[in-house]
Amino acid sequence: MESYIGKIKEISERLLNDGTVECVVGFRKGTVALTNEPCMITKASDVQDLVWDENCRLNLANYLTGRKEKIAVIAKGCDSRNIVNHIIENKISREQLVIIGVPCKGMVDKNNPEVLQANCATCLHRNPVIYDELCADLVEEQKEVDRYEDVRKIEAMETQDKWAFFEDLLTGCTRCYACKNACPLCYCPTCFVDESQPQWIGKGTDPIDIRTYHFLRAYHCAGRCTDCGACEAACPQNIKMRHFTKKLEKDCNELYGWEAGLTVDQRPPLDSFKVDDPDKFIM
Amino acid sequence: MKVIKIDKNIWAGGIDSLRSGYRLFGPVMQGDAHEYKELTSDETPDMAYTNTRLSPKSVVFPQSEPMFTYSLDENNPEHHILKDAPKDYSPRAVIGMRPCDAKALSLVRMNFDTEEYRDPFWMNSYDATTFVGLACDSPCETCFCTSAGCGPYHEEGFDVLLSDCGDAYEAKALTEKGEKLLAAAGWTAEGDASVFEPKKAEAEAKIVCKVESSNLRGKNSLDLYDAPFWKELSFACINCGTCTYACPTCWCFDIQDENKGTEGVRMRNWDSCMTSLFTLHGSGHNPRDQKHQRFRQRFMHKLKYFVDKYDKGLMCVGCGRCVQQCPANIDIRTICNKMNGYEAAS
Amino acid sequence: MKNLMEHMGVEPGRLQFSWISSAESTKFVDVVTKVTESVKALGPNTNYVKKSGAKG
Repeated sequence: MESYIGKIKEISERLLNDGTVECVVGFRKGTVALTNEPCMITKASDVQDLVWDENCRLNLANYLTGRKEKIAVIAKGCDSRNIVNHIIENKISREQLVIIGVPCKGMVDKNNPEVLQANCATCLHRNPVIYDELCADLVEEQKEVDRYEDVRKIEAMETQDKWAFFEDLLTGCTRCYACKNACPLCYCPTCFVDESQPQWIGKGTDPIDIRTYHFLRAYHCAGRCTDCGACEAACPQNIKMRHFTKKLEKDCNELYGWEAGLTVDQRPPLDSFKVDDPDKFIM
Repeated sequence: MKVIKIDKNIWAGGIDSLRSGYRLFGPVMQGDAHEYKELTSDETPDMAYTNTRLSPKSVVFPQSEPMFTYSLDENNPEHHILKDAPKDYSPRAVIGMRPCDAKALSLVRMNFDTEEYRDPFWMNSYDATTFVGLACDSPCETCFCTSAGCGPYHEEGFDVLLSDCGDAYEAKALTEKGEKLLAAAGWTAEGDASVFEPKKAEAEAKIVCKVESSNLRGKNSLDLYDAPFWKELSFACINCGTCTYACPTCWCFDIQDENKGTEGVRMRNWDSCMTSLFTLHGSGHNPRDQKHQRFRQRFMHKLKYFVDKYDKGLMCVGCGRCVQQCPANIDIRTICNKMNGYEAAS
Repeated sequence: MKNLMEHMGVEPGRLQFSWISSAESTKFVDVVTKVTESVKALGPNTNYVKKSGAKG
């Protein structure tokens, strides 16, 4: 994917020079191995700073929330799906954006550059779903990928084993909130964890509070999560919190035939009502 | 200073001898990284670690710490009276701590042990602890301790400093507390004090990463505060607490009451200046409601306000944890250099 | 919600949903009875209960 950068710079420079956009949101070279830093370029002369490789893990839709200017944004498949979410949820308008699409071949694992990041290995939407410019030819989408093998494994467990699995999963969580802050879906002015009237959740490191945080955070992403993996990529403790969101993604897929962020023309399932919505859970 | 040689074949035995007199803390593999924790009776500290993900500040300053208990039950004659939460301040020892982390505790002490106020929880824990250091012979590539007033053989804050000499440790007793611990472990063989200087020089030479901070003291705080680079530098920051929680010198906490029925505990939890809640006033006003303001606060505190207030150098020991762990690659080295080199337009 | 709660190890039956109109008094009684019975059968909640912090 390093070969994309020439074209990315060329497009960015053109858009800045002709005044189509005021800034470009992309990545610049990181100061430590296997990391790049999200950046905003405002001068055409600075486009040389832009980079693109397998370490552009963070989701750049997260940097668009509520911005007012005209922006060009470099978007891989998942970023583009979160841009769609943002447009549906009025966090940015389509007219403000020039989307420079990146046909993505997957990010590498931040701890092991030999393998793809877990969500990328089972990704079905490597190509951007919405774009104005492309920096390369579209790539072939992965086929016959089993997206939910890990979810089914947990579903097959006994209740106590499930409890223990998640207890173990969350060991080490310091509630730094990198997962929610790296997530483009988490933009509430005041997060439920910070509410004090009423206070929904204790603020310490009690395992129950940690679990409640993760569980509720995930639930707020139901039907919206694109499995971009920014949460896991951001976690300094390497916690695999996608075990929560993937269950919701699987349920949304099975119950509503829904994949988040594919089209701006349809409201997400938990945001709309249909008479044939499944209601088996209501007694 | 007394130097004791500890053959590695008597190391584990010595650790066992310490268990009766001390609660032991040390680095152990937890999941996929080393962390400090209280050792169980069958655990020994894993001295082969490079650095832990979180600093050992939690040994004296736990992330969640009960301070008081109280009752809201008005039938209880002692209702609404805060009582000390049960505490264990019996002697404890941290085995195998890195010099940067020990220096960090000395810096944090300036905040918790002042003429006006002495934080009893932090100080009681600190005073109860014997700090046994392990000098760094193979630093990480993000370490910049030598330009942050510290170093791989820095002794500040330690009671004992160990240097790994292959099949033995040379242990330098730096305080009485340290001598007491060495004796309690049964380590008495006379050591060789001359190994420290050459090993120190060798280790320091391995730390190639430097930051420039010499100009910070002389800068005008308001010039730095108003510098034009904060928005740009903070663009990538996601305002999580990764840096503050990993940082050995971050000391901020938040006080919370947790009730269950009529019984409650007053806790303190680590807090982070990266969150907007940190400065939210009761009125609803927030003096730091923008990302770049919070970002600026963190670096100005560590690299300028602290420097000015105490004249003891940076409030950073160069451990590199924030650099390694930041999800968005915010790098304190870059920011320190930028601040150090900044000249305000006159 | 229910699915994810159960996925992370909360016993099936501990969380229940119903929709009852204010006019459906018999349904209300019926549902409350059923919920009470099923929760009693599960016994006290041991998993999703805070153990440290405030001691009740």
